[in-house]
Amino acid sequence: MTIPADLKYTKEHEWVRIDGDTATFGISDHAQEALGDIVFVELPEVGRSIDAGEAYAVVESVKAVSDVYAPVGGEVIEVNEALEGEPELVNTDPYGAGWIAKVSIGDGQVELLNDDEYTTFLEE
Amino acid sequence: MLEAIGVSGVRDLFADIPAEFHLQQGSLNLPDGMSEAAIVRKFTQAAEKNRHAANTACFLGGGTYHHFVPAVVDYVISRGEFLTAYTPYQPEISQGTLQALFEFQTMIARLTGMDVANASMYEAATATAEAALMARRVTRKNRVVMAGSVNPRYRSVTSNYLSRLKGDYVEIAMDGFATDVDALIAAIDDNTACVVVQYPDFYGSVYDLSVLRAACDANKCLMVVAFSDISAFALIESPGAMGADIAVGSGQSLGIPMGYGGPHLGLFACKQKYVRQMPGRVCGMTQDADGKRGFVLTLSTREQHIRREKATSNICSNQGLMCTAAATYLTLMGDDGMATVARHSAAALQSLLAALPDHVSAAAGAHYNETVLSFADTTARDRFLAAAAADGIFAGIPLERIDHAAQPGHLLVATTEMVEQDDIQRYLAALEVSK
Amino acid sequence: MTQSASNTNQYSATAGIQHEEALLFEHAHEAPSSINLPGVEGDIPAALTAFARQQPAGIPGLSEPEAVRHFVRLSQWNHGIETGFYPLGSCTMKYNPRVNEQVVRLPGLAHIHPDQPDETVQGVLQLLYELQQWLCEISGFSHITLQPAAGAHGELTGLMMIRAALDARGQQHRKKVLVPDSAHGTNPASAALCGMYTVELKSGADGRIDLDELKAHLDNDTAALMMTNPNTAGAFESDVAEICRLVHEAGGFVYGDGANLNALVGVARPGDMGIDCLHINVHKTFSTPHGGGGPGGGPVAVNESLAPHLPVPRIEKQGDGYALLHQSDASIGSVLGSIGQTGVLLRAAAYIAAFGNNHLHKIAEDAVLNANYVLSRLKNAYDVPFDGLCKHECLLTDAIQEKHGVKTLDIAKQLIDLGFHPMTVYFPLIVHGAMLIEPTETESRQTLDAFCDAMLEIAAQCEAGDTDQLHSAPVKPFRRRLDETQAARKPVLVWPSA
Repeated sequence: MTIPADLKYTKEHEWVRIDGDTATFGISDHAQEALGDIVFVELPEVGRSIDAGEAYAVVESVKAVSDVYAPVGGEVIEVNEALEGEPELVNTDPYGAGWIAKVSIGDGQVELLNDDEYTTFLEE
Repeated sequence: MLEAIGVSGVRDLFADIPAEFHLQQGSLNLPDGMSEAAIVRKFTQAAEKNRHAANTACFLGGGTYHHFVPAVVDYVISRGEFLTAYTPYQPEISQGTLQALFEFQTMIARLTGMDVANASMYEAATATAEAALMARRVTRKNRVVMAGSVNPRYRSVTSNYLSRLKGDYVEIAMDGFATDVDALIAAIDDNTACVVVQYPDFYGSVYDLSVLRAACDANKCLMVVAFSDISAFALIESPGAMGADIAVGSGQSLGIPMGYGGPHLGLFACKQKYVRQMPGRVCGMTQDADGKRGFVLTLSTREQHIRREKATSNICSNQGLMCTAAATYLTLMGDDGMATVARHSAAALQSLLAALPDHVSAAAGAHYNETVLSFADTTARDRFLAAAAADGIFAGIPLERIDHAAQPGHLLVATTEMVEQDDIQRYLAALEVSK
Repeated sequence: MTQSASNTNQYSATAGIQHEEALLFEHAHEAPSSINLPGVEGDIPAALTAFARQQPAGIPGLSEPEAVRHFVRLSQWNHGIETGFYPLGSCTMKYNPRVNEQVVRLPGLAHIHPDQPDETVQGVLQLLYELQQWLCEISGFSHITLQPAAGAHGELTGLMMIRAALDARGQQHRKKVLVPDSAHGTNPASAALCGMYTVELKSGADGRIDLDELKAHLDNDTAALMMTNPNTAGAFESDVAEICRLVHEAGGFVYGDGANLNALVGVARPGDMGIDCLHINVHKTFSTPHGGGGPGGGPVAVNESLAPHLPVPRIEKQGDGYALLHQSDASIGSVLGSIGQTGVLLRAAAYIAAFGNNHLHKIAEDAVLNANYVLSRLKNAYDVPFDGLCKHECLLTDAIQEKHGVKTLDIAKQLIDLGFHPMTVYFPLIVHGAMLIEPTETESRQTLDAFCDAMLEIAAQCEAGDTDQLHSAPVKPFRRRLDETQAARKPVLVWPSA
């Protein structure tokens, strides 16, 4: 299992990459492994404003459904449309091609963990 | 067995039920058990107290139709492997049910002109309610506009389903026995999730939906098309061709006896893009570990056993066996047979209407196999019903029986291929008493 | 391990001659309909020509012998209760007596239109009215509706009546429905459909409702508690009277999910325990065949507090006859477009008639005996999450086998190769790797032993580390494990048109 050092994580197993005013969201390697084969990702609408901690997407495996929560608040500026045809990207490349949405950062954030803290959290 | 379990008597196994709730054996107010022969006698005697369509000319419709049921249909659904299987949750040993469902879904989609169909709802009224709920999910709007020319039972169940949820439900009353599309269009607003119409409508009227389709597009709402007798779509354009986003209705006409109200078959079909908001079970094609084609229940995350309170519907048991019945029926019929059923059903109504005496009038406009006959008054109508019944004819349904708000003196009349020319002659003869 | 299960078990849906059979749409010839249809000849009426269908739908059509062979072949790929043991927990897959099939096909029952005048349907109304009385008597309630088409539909109907009763008291604000975490998924889904919200009650250490947890969630907003008794872990909620008292004291109603009524029939009655409203799955307890997914039937029995709100139409006795009542002021209205799934209900009536007052208790007694016998034979080889006697079904988990890398799913699939339908897997959700086994009362000791032998053989294979085969099972049936991921990722729900 990989936990890249350049990302921040939530206790709900999302990751966020903060790059200036923009944040990119996805789910962690641990999360995709726990869910199993992802068969569908329900993406948010571009332009939707989301609060930190709000469920903004849904990932589905064959027999499970999981809400995905926003690590930081903001407005959705782009979604990963590749997931519509290839939801398995979340399994094969959770931190890269399996990203879910990008937001322009607004107010608020949930408790964010760095890679070491997330590793410790997973071990607990 | 008791020894293996480690108890001395069967009743010890119920020790966790407080003693105050234990029934004394044999203390229920029920008759004692009957032999198989006695059961057959009891049910035969009860059955003989009923009049039935097998030996009566039946002009009753209103959502349930006396179409011909080939013997093969009942044979197939009587086979224990279909009859006594559970929901196909273990696909390796349920491929028979699953392939039949896949064939059923395909044929229902084709007949209704839609992209996909599910593996059934209970019946047409609840299917209509589920369609309205689905339109709310798809559009994220919560106002439902219902045509007053939809079967009153579908309306009442839909209104009932929606009444405890946030949002508006509006019924648009219709003048006369037809659908006023302009009145429906006028009722659409920004918050409208869907317009629900019936086609042919409750009064049997066939009409064009293209203007309504355009109005729905303009207001980003869905057009839900309900139907009662799916055989119509072997003759007239399908709901899909008319632009429906969701088509729902009854599949009872497809080889399922009337059975005093059930079990019937609810059909649910929609456009591909809305499939993840569809209620109910659905069967999909896939491969097995050896790469052989096979079928499974799929898109299960929409359903209650996984999504619980967020499920698209609470439905679990559906009408699986009736899907197999409908698939068998359609296989026996094919396009040709279905076309014959539809042509004969329509021709019988035409033949009746063409010879209608002056003192009885029929609703205007194009009709498939159902219409409303109007009499001078209720007394005249009921005189006719009695005379017809005496001659072995179920002549129609008093409109107020289904539509409690109906004006007096009207009769809902339907025909199928089971109506013969002689039945029509006798029907016309009986009409004389209503003068 | 004394005997190999595969030797004791000769019957199997999975090992006979099986033919590959194409989809209808692949039968590559045009067979005109061989059905000689009756009726009035005629062309499409002039008024309809403007609406005439331009392209045929594309329904293939086979001759009668081809159609029969097609569906008979398909049927042979299925395992049904008539093929073999079907211990699907929470589903009550008991044998379905054939006489029930015979009587509902009598023309005077099969071919009646629901809108025939009441005086022409007195026979069927009498049978349905009697069934109402029988179901009330068996469940311990005063009133009942036969209208709901299935269990989940019954739940919705019951909650609608509870809603109506609360509204009549001016308590529109009560919208909270308490649902144990062991409940069927239909419970929360039905509550949501009724405009209510659910709060999940965490089960106690014994798998039962925890009274303190219940008390902590009961308040002025509580509309109802939905409880399944026996619960989905197969245990009777012995505190049922206290549970009902607490809910009533808080101003709520107790809804009973009757999915597990088979454990109580003729022995005890939910209505006597304080439950206000109970749906009855006639396709479980009263043996109406499940048909590969339905039809079912979900009559809802209620006590006096909810009776005014029963759906319409209702069957009423008027003098010596029966009539349908179509409207009633306090009624919740209709939940179905007809009186109910009559054909299903009549089968249930025939089933009850066969047992009657003198034999009905044997249903529950034998069902509970069989489940406890299976438990007694398997409890040393499999993990039993909750100690004690079970009712009509027993709950195991894969905790012991998982140490050898074998999961519930593998055990289930291996059972298929051994000729059995698997038990319910991964439900209830309160234990990891659940296996819920409901043998029902219609199975012989020989069948139970053959099944237990098979389960013990699997357990022994795990202990011996001989697990490769378990992961690849099943190999005997017509199809092996199917790729559900592919099916869900790229759904193909219809055969493409030519």
